[in-house]
Amino acid sequence: MSVVHRNNIKSTGKGGRTMLFAHGFGCDQNMWRYVAPQFEDDFRVVTFDHVGAGGSDLAAYDFQKYATLDGYASDIVEIGQELGIEGGIFVGHSVSAMMGVLASLKAPGMFSKLVLVGPSPRYINDGDYQGGFTQEQVDELLEFLDSNHMGWSQAMAPVIMGNPEQPELSEELTNSFCKTDPEIAKHFARATFTADNRADLAKVTVPSLILQCAEDVIAPVWVGHYLHANIPDSKLVLMKATGHCPNLSHPLETTDAIRSFVTA
Amino acid sequence: MRSRSDIGQDVDDLVDLFENAPCGYISAAPDGRIMLANRTLSSWLGIASEKIVGRKFIDFLTMPGKIYFETHFAPLVTMQGAFNEVALDMVKADGSRLPVLVNAVARVAEGGGVRFIRITIFNATDRRRYEKELVEARAAAERSTAALKELNSHLEERVSAVVQEKLAAESALHQAQKIEALGHLTGGVAHDFNNMLAVVIGGLNMAQRRIERGTLDDVPKLLAAALDGANRAATLTQRLLAFARQQPLSPGSVDANKLVANMAEILASTLGEVIQKETVLASGLWRTKADANQLENVVLNLAVNARDAMPEGGKLTIETANTRIDEAYAADHDIAPGQYVMIAVTDTGCGMPPEVIEKAIDPFFTTKPVGKGTGLGLSQVFGFAKQSGGHLKIYSEVGTGTTMKIYLPRDYDGDGSGDLYKDEAVPRGSPDEVILLVEDDASVREVHTRMLEELGYSVVAADGPLAALQIIAARSDVALLFTDVVMAPMNGRKLADEARIKRPGLPVVFTTGYSRNAVVHNGVLDPGVIFLQKPATLGDLARKVRAALDT
Repeated sequence: MSVVHRNNIKSTGKGGRTMLFAHGFGCDQNMWRYVAPQFEDDFRVVTFDHVGAGGSDLAAYDFQKYATLDGYASDIVEIGQELGIEGGIFVGHSVSAMMGVLASLKAPGMFSKLVLVGPSPRYINDGDYQGGFTQEQVDELLEFLDSNHMGWSQAMAPVIMGNPEQPELSEELTNSFCKTDPEIAKHFARATFTADNRADLAKVTVPSLILQCAEDVIAPVWVGHYLHANIPDSKLVLMKATGHCPNLSHPLETTDAIRSFVTA
Repeated sequence: MRSRSDIGQDVDDLVDLFENAPCGYISAAPDGRIMLANRTLSSWLGIASEKIVGRKFIDFLTMPGKIYFETHFAPLVTMQGAFNEVALDMVKADGSRLPVLVNAVARVAEGGGVRFIRITIFNATDRRRYEKELVEARAAAERSTAALKELNSHLEERVSAVVQEKLAAESALHQAQKIEALGHLTGGVAHDFNNMLAVVIGGLNMAQRRIERGTLDDVPKLLAAALDGANRAATLTQRLLAFARQQPLSPGSVDANKLVANMAEILASTLGEVIQKETVLASGLWRTKADANQLENVVLNLAVNARDAMPEGGKLTIETANTRIDEAYAADHDIAPGQYVMIAVTDTGCGMPPEVIEKAIDPFFTTKPVGKGTGLGLSQVFGFAKQSGGHLKIYSEVGTGTTMKIYLPRDYDGDGSGDLYKDEAVPRGSPDEVILLVEDDASVREVHTRMLEELGYSVVAADGPLAALQIIAARSDVALLFTDVVMAPMNGRKLADEARIKRPGLPVVFTTGYSRNAVVHNGVLDPGVIFLQKPATLGDLARKVRAALDT
C-alpha cells in the first residue's frame, strides 16, 4: 500500500524545505487551493487527503484506526517518512492542527514549526474550559449525521454510498468537493468533536503559530487564547477573517500570516 | 417608449415577486452578512425581515447545521461559486425547526469580486418527511434481507420449527373443529331426542290418566305411540354410534341379493311414485361379511340420497356384483386387495361436481337446504364400509347422475347367520330356562325382568356382580347370564369370567348403553360374545338370548 496513493499526496514547489498542508474536518486538500500555491517558490509544497476524504483510498479506511485523532497523526508521520521530511513546516487546518501537534510528538525532528489554523484541543465545554459546545450539542450533531448525512438530502446520500463502482454518479453532484461516505463522515465527526488533546499541548517542543479567526463558531476566540497560554513557544494571531475557513475566505491574510511566521 | 408610471409598476411587480415568492430569499454580502431577506422567509421563521438583516445565515441554523455550513458548504461557495440542494434545519422564532433545502450562488461583479451571495430557501417539511419514510423503508428492507439471510443460514432448524408450529396450529384447529362439530351434533341430537321424548312422555302421561280414570279404551293406542317414539330414539342412538364408528357391528354372513330383495317394500315407500326402481342382482353372488342391519340402513341411506338428487323423478338402479380389487387399485384406495361383493346404487339425478365429491363424505357436509339433511348420511356409509373392511367409491357426472358403490369383503365360509330375522317369529323360552339378570339400574332391571318373563323364561335378578356370584354359587339351574357391562365393583366381563370359573361354558349375553366398553375391540365384538345394545326391543332381546342358549 503506497502512502502516496492512500493519501492522494500532491507535491509541488521548488524549495528545499517542505510545507505539509493538512485539511480539516470537511472537504479535502482543495481547502488549501488559494494558500498552498503561494509558497511554491520557496518550499516543496505537499498537500494530501486524509483517508476517507477527497481522492484518498477509501479501501484503506479502518474504523478502529480512525476512531481517534491518533490514527490520523500516524498517517501524517508516515507521509513525512515517505517524503523524507525533516525540519519541515506543518500547516494544519481545523482538527488537523491537533493531528499535527500529535505527529510532531510522535516524530521529533520531522517538523520544525507548526501552523495551527482554527485549532481546538477540545470542542466540548469542561468546567472552566470553554470549548464552545455543550455535550448535548455534540450529541445532536452526531444524531444529525445519523439522520441527515452532512446536509445532503437524505435520498441522495445513499447514492454516494451505494455506488462505489459508479463514481461518476457522485461526480455529477454539484457538491462534489465535499463528497464523503456518510458512515466515514459520521466517524470522522465523532473522532473530531469528542477529542481531548489538552494534555498534549504542553509537550510541544517546536515554535507554533495559532491563527484565530473572528466569529468562528467551531473554534471560538477563548480557545485560541487557551492554546496560546498552554503551548510553549506559541504565537497567537487574531485574524480579521471571520468564520472557520480563512484559508478559503481570506487567503491573502492567511498567506501573509503564515509567511511571516515561517520566514521569521 | 415606457412611461415612468409603467416602470414604477414593473418595479412594484418585481418587488412583489421577490417578497412573496414561494421560496425564501436572502442576499448576503461576501462576508456572509445578510443584506436583504424576503417576506416569505420572514413569515416562515416568524422573524421580522429587519431582524434578519445584519446577521449571518448560519445564525439561523441548528448547531449541526452551523458546523456543517462552516466546514462544508461555505467552502463550496468559495471554491465552486455555488451549492445546491443542501438539507438543513433553520430555527424559528419560537425555537421550533424548519426543515429546508438551500441553494446558494455567488453573484460575481464585472471586476471579478463577489457582489453578493444569493441564498434560496425551500420549505422542505413534506420532502423531509418523505425522505424519512424512504430511509425507514430502506432500513426495514435491509432488516428483512438480514432476517432472510439469518433464516437461510438456519433454514433446516427453522423449517423444522415452523413445521412443528404449523402442526401444532393444525392440531389446535382440528380440536376446535371437533368441538364445533360436537356442538352441532349435540344440538341436533338434543333437539331430535326432545321431540321423541315429548312423544313418549306425552303418550305415557295420557295413558296414566286414562288408567287412573279407569277408561282403558285408548290406552293401547297411546302406549303404541309412546313405544314408537322410544323406538325412534333408539334408532337415533344407533345412527349416532354408527357415525362415531363406535357402534359395535355384529358382522355375519350376508346374502346381499336377498337383503336388497327384502327391502323392496321399504324402498318403494321411500322412493315414491316419480322414481322408477330397478334392481339388477347378479346370479351366483358371493356372500359377504357385514352387519346386516347396518347394511340395510346403508342401502336405504343411499336410496334416499338418490331420491333427493332426482326431485323431478328419474330412475334408481340397485345392482350387485362380484368384483375383484387388484393390488394397484387397493394401494390407491386404502383397501386390501381381494374379492369383494359390490352393491351399487345409481341415480339419474343432478350429479356432483368433483369438489363436492371430494367433500361428500365429510361429516356434516351436505348440499341439502338447512333442515333437509344432517350431513351425516354419506359419512355414516363411508364409516360403515371402512369398518366392515370394505370401501365406498363415488362416481358422478353433473347432469347425468351418480353411482355409489359399496365394496364389502367376500365371506368364504358364510352360513347365513347374519341374515335378517325380519319375518321370523320372536323366539321364546320356557320356565325351566333360568336366566340370571344382573343390572344395577333398578328400573332397567325391572323392564328386562318383565321382558324375559314375557318371553317365557324364569328370571333371577341381581343388583350387582357380588350378588350375582352368590346366586351362581347357590343355584345350579342358572342357564344363562344376562349382564350389564358397566358396573362396580367389577364389570360385566369380569363377572362373566368369574361365573364361568364356577360354571364353565355358561352362556352370557352382555348388554350396555355404552359403546366404548370392555366387550368391544375395534368396534367389533369379541368372537363368541353375544351383545345386546340398549335400549333393545323385545324381538332383539328374544333373539340374542335364544341364540346364546342354543349355541
